[in-house]
Amino acid sequence: MELSESVQKGFQMLADPGSFDSNAFTLLLRAAFQSLLDAQADEAVLDHPDLKHIDPVVLKHCHAAAATYILEAGKHGADKSTLSTYLEDCKFDRERIELFCTEYQNNKNSLEILLGSIGRSLPHIMDVSWRLEYQIKTNQLHRMYRPAYLVTLSVQNTDSPSYPEISFSCSMEQLQDLVGKLKDASKSLERATQL
Amino acid sequence: MLLALSEEHKEHLSFLPQVDSAVVAEFGRIAVEFLRRGANPKIYEGAARKLNVSSDTVQHGVEGLTYLLTESSKLMISELDFQDSVFVLGFSEELNKLLLQLYLDNRKEIRTILSELAPSLPSYHNLEWRLDVQLASRSLRQQIKPAVTIKLHLNQNGDHNTKVLQTDPATLLHLVQQLEQALEEMKTNHCRRVVRNIK
Repeated sequence: MELSESVQKGFQMLADPGSFDSNAFTLLLRAAFQSLLDAQADEAVLDHPDLKHIDPVVLKHCHAAAATYILEAGKHGADKSTLSTYLEDCKFDRERIELFCTEYQNNKNSLEILLGSIGRSLPHIMDVSWRLEYQIKTNQLHRMYRPAYLVTLSVQNTDSPSYPEISFSCSMEQLQDLVGKLKDASKSLERATQL
Repeated sequence: MLLALSEEHKEHLSFLPQVDSAVVAEFGRIAVEFLRRGANPKIYEGAARKLNVSSDTVQHGVEGLTYLLTESSKLMISELDFQDSVFVLGFSEELNKLLLQLYLDNRKEIRTILSELAPSLPSYHNLEWRLDVQLASRSLRQQIKPAVTIKLHLNQNGDHNTKVLQTDPATLLHLVQQLEQALEEMKTNHCRRVVRNIK
């Protein structure tokens, strides 16, 4: 993991019981996790009365350092010993290291889900809807009498926030072909998970 | 159901009894070919010279025949109805028989051609799939994220279109379940009754 000097300095300040007492440390730590993981976290996450006595510049620096480190640790799947080593180097005492590791462990899953959801991917199929119709006639052809399906796939695009839809028509045989192929794919998926 | 022929149409077709049946058969072949590929005016001129008539007459004859065949095919009229409709033209027995044969021989193909004129949506052509597992990304290392990548081939008005899409295993199972339900619908009593009764 590559971390800048700024992060290290921030952590060194966090380690100091003179700048951050136990309560303040815990609050800042929780605030860092909250601002990363809570979708509705507002900007006033640092506005706790027990943090008012600390210089706001220091507060922001340490908050940013903690958030950066948490993200890096999450990205690389850091384990407890990696965390402990780094925090020891920043002069954290045992108690604070334990606290950090516990908070990290509690939030690890959410963190991984968040990081995993960032990124580009192909348009993603979300849902399918279908319509069965019985075609009777067109203005060019009377007495048709054949069933047809209209299938619509709702798709989510990472690039644009829109939800375009892909619609197509197919006959019964074509739909059977489509379903057959999708079933092959899901059987193959099942087999792969059993390996 | 009888075919209603306008006066103009009858006039155009009145050329047919004046030539022998081989020529009428040839006109029939030309008419269907024009439906398949589009009209070719040069053919009219060649035929007009051989038959010693104006090229307009030939053109009207072929077009009249074409219209007769397409209207009959569109409405899918029965043999009897076709014979009755043609009867009003006062043609010979032999010519009537020839026209009926022309209709029956070409009806299916003409209906296929006419069905291509209907408004259409992209239609399904083929589906290719691939199983992928995402192992890492810029924001998260050490992942195991299965996904199914799908290439959907669609046809619209002769144009071939492909779309590359992706889905996750849970959605894939959902898609299969939903579409299987769609297929099952055709076998329900309701649909069977509709198919049986609307003819």
